[in-house]
Amino acid sequence: MLSPLTTLLIGFALLLALYLFLRPHKGYLWQWRRAWQNTGRALIENALKYLYDGEYKQLPCTLQSLSGGLSISAGRAIELLTRLEALDLVKSQGNTLQLTDEGRSYALRIIRIHRVWERYLADETGVPAPEWHAEAEQQEHKMTFGEANVLAAQLGNPLYDPHGDPIPTARGELPPSLGMPMTDLQKGQTAEVIHIEDEPEEIFAQLVAQGFDVGKHIHILDSSPVRVRFALDGEEQSLAPVFAVNVTVLALAEQKSEELSYPSLSELSPGESASVVSISRACRGVQRRRLMDLGVIAGTCIKAEMSSAAGDPTAYEIRGAIIALRKSQADLILVEK
Amino acid sequence: MDEKNHNNLDELLDSANSLRWEVGGNLHEALMESIYADATRIADRVVTREGEHTRFDWERNLDRLLTSRWTGFPVMLLILAVVFWLTIAGANVPSAMLASLLIDMGHPFLKGLAAGMHMPWWLDGLLIDGVYLAAAWVIAVMLPPMAIFFPLFTLLEDFGYLPRVAFNLDNMFRKAGAHGKQALSMSMGYGCNAAGIIATRVIDSPRERLIAIITNNFALCNGRWPTQILIASLFIGAMAPPAVAGLVSAAAVVGITLFGVFLTFVTSWGLSRTVLRGQPSTFSLELPPYRPPRFWKTLYTSIIDRTLLVLWRAVVFAVPAGAAIWLLANLTMGDLSIAEHLINGMNPFALLIGLNGVILLAYIIAIPANEIVIPTILMLTILSAKVSGVGEGTGVMFELTDDEAYLKVFTAGGWTLLTAINLMLFSLVHNPCSTTIFTIYKETGSVKWTVIASLLPVVMGLVLCFFVAQFWYLFTG
Repeated sequence: MLSPLTTLLIGFALLLALYLFLRPHKGYLWQWRRAWQNTGRALIENALKYLYDGEYKQLPCTLQSLSGGLSISAGRAIELLTRLEALDLVKSQGNTLQLTDEGRSYALRIIRIHRVWERYLADETGVPAPEWHAEAEQQEHKMTFGEANVLAAQLGNPLYDPHGDPIPTARGELPPSLGMPMTDLQKGQTAEVIHIEDEPEEIFAQLVAQGFDVGKHIHILDSSPVRVRFALDGEEQSLAPVFAVNVTVLALAEQKSEELSYPSLSELSPGESASVVSISRACRGVQRRRLMDLGVIAGTCIKAEMSSAAGDPTAYEIRGAIIALRKSQADLILVEK
Repeated sequence: MDEKNHNNLDELLDSANSLRWEVGGNLHEALMESIYADATRIADRVVTREGEHTRFDWERNLDRLLTSRWTGFPVMLLILAVVFWLTIAGANVPSAMLASLLIDMGHPFLKGLAAGMHMPWWLDGLLIDGVYLAAAWVIAVMLPPMAIFFPLFTLLEDFGYLPRVAFNLDNMFRKAGAHGKQALSMSMGYGCNAAGIIATRVIDSPRERLIAIITNNFALCNGRWPTQILIASLFIGAMAPPAVAGLVSAAAVVGITLFGVFLTFVTSWGLSRTVLRGQPSTFSLELPPYRPPRFWKTLYTSIIDRTLLVLWRAVVFAVPAGAAIWLLANLTMGDLSIAEHLINGMNPFALLIGLNGVILLAYIIAIPANEIVIPTILMLTILSAKVSGVGEGTGVMFELTDDEAYLKVFTAGGWTLLTAINLMLFSLVHNPCSTTIFTIYKETGSVKWTVIASLLPVVMGLVLCFFVAQFWYLFTG
């Protein structure tokens, strides 16, 4: 029989191997799956998406920017471009690359699948926000256009994905792009967030962590080339421009900017009551429906009854029933005392 | 004409679609708010309310007592302790009565009857020693505690106390990615895991409900308490001086229970961050007003819906297991019975994880109910270690009355302190019984989650036992 020391070492080695293999997102299993998928059809579709994005933002695309945007070598980019041209999806005009009509409608179909799937992840599942984009990047190559349309119908034909990007209609129509980057706002201006760029994931995760969400209002306190200071959810925060430029906003007229100063339900102490102004956009899908089912809608009067022995959750009287809500939920309900 | 209508329709849909961009995304919500507003206005106009509804003062005071920072937890522990004490103390007598009626008297009576009918030995063995005995065992051990525990629990639920427990404990469960109501399904699991899994219906969020279902197995059930108590007093209590032996073995059992609670939280945390992260999650917990419990109705429904349902499922599964146990012990290949072949085959692996072939085989064939694990282990031990003078015959399950006799059988089977510790661990962390597995399938309706809920604990148990055993061998040489 083996000595205990040997078996222990073998045991630990096996556990470690299993961990490295199965670890979510970074494990070898996931890496292989991704590498497997980043070939052939997926690459063509990603290239079309990239070119369409450039067209929508009116930025010229070249072979160099394509190879950079898809993180592939220049050699592979040339190979890819040859295939795209052979398929009559892209044509080169001098140095810049342009989509053909067929290429454009193909790109719009992929974008529709991508954004419908992101909407689905945000509304119907518990997948955390920073992962929506990566999941949709996989799904867009697996799902057919017909399946995406069925899903969109089930979701009530949503107009925007959770990042605020418009979802192309089944016929490939899109509204013109609106808004401006947050860095263009002047000191003292108030604006509504209409879009948060989901790539790169690190920047998006940081923005989500700071509380950015489509539909929220921000107030610029100070803007300089090195730092943007602003108020979000009544809290003073700051961002480097490299982050701030990924937030697209729509400037608001002065009188509308009052809205941002409502307290949240979690700020009530036991015995106090307040009426609901709105549920924050960050509360989506099942969670939002549940709150609305309970009667949490604009105008409902809510009274804080008591907090639990451990401090969280807190029980509220909502339309005659005592309902306990967690602080993270009550944070998302804006009230007027 | 048709062609033209079709064109008109298309145009209409087109303009509707382009208008939707202008209306914005929250049309449905605006619609709902205006319906609510209309409904409120109509109700205000035509409904007269006699005074404003207020919660009674006593309700408020009671809530203050049950959920305040200082009194909430002590009151909860006290109530749970009373429920457990009532169950254990109250179930002893009827359990002993049932056992003497069904096993001590019923079994010989049926054997006599079969002999009178000149039944062939194999049919009599299969039906009476195998099937009847397994079913009788399950009923005698399971029925009384469940018939006491479930009504008590249902009364507390009916009164409105259990939602307050969930309210107090939610913070702990939230940190593990679970729902406060999991405290209720866990407590129910201390009675029976199958009932605990049915109790997860109160959790209305899909992710948290699956977590509660998969981790319910870490709540020691009715069928496992006797095993833990027996092994703890035989091996762990015996190490201490006689004066404190009882205390030490009780501490060992409490320790294993707390370890189960710890595993529940750790596993919940892990699940909510890995396989279950994509499941939708939401939270709401209603704290209903206190009501006087409807005693008779509660008694009736908890005995019919919970106790008898679970008992029936357990008996249905125990019957084939009884037959299998008897057959394995009595069918022979060459000189040895099939059971002995299996035991010898599993021994090398079993020793690697600090158990033995008998225990592993007992856990495999006693999947239907944890209640029959110890009787099966005893039977298989005397079969494979050739102990004479104990037991009722080949393939007949039995129990012993005093510690000496148990120790004699276990020593003959080559048990050490490590075997005892690992048996306690494995009894806590192994696959749920087949009744529970079936219930998981019924509740989730999914093969995938049933497989995960069944395999995850047994894999965890094997890994745990392996490391404990190897460290033990390392330090004891």
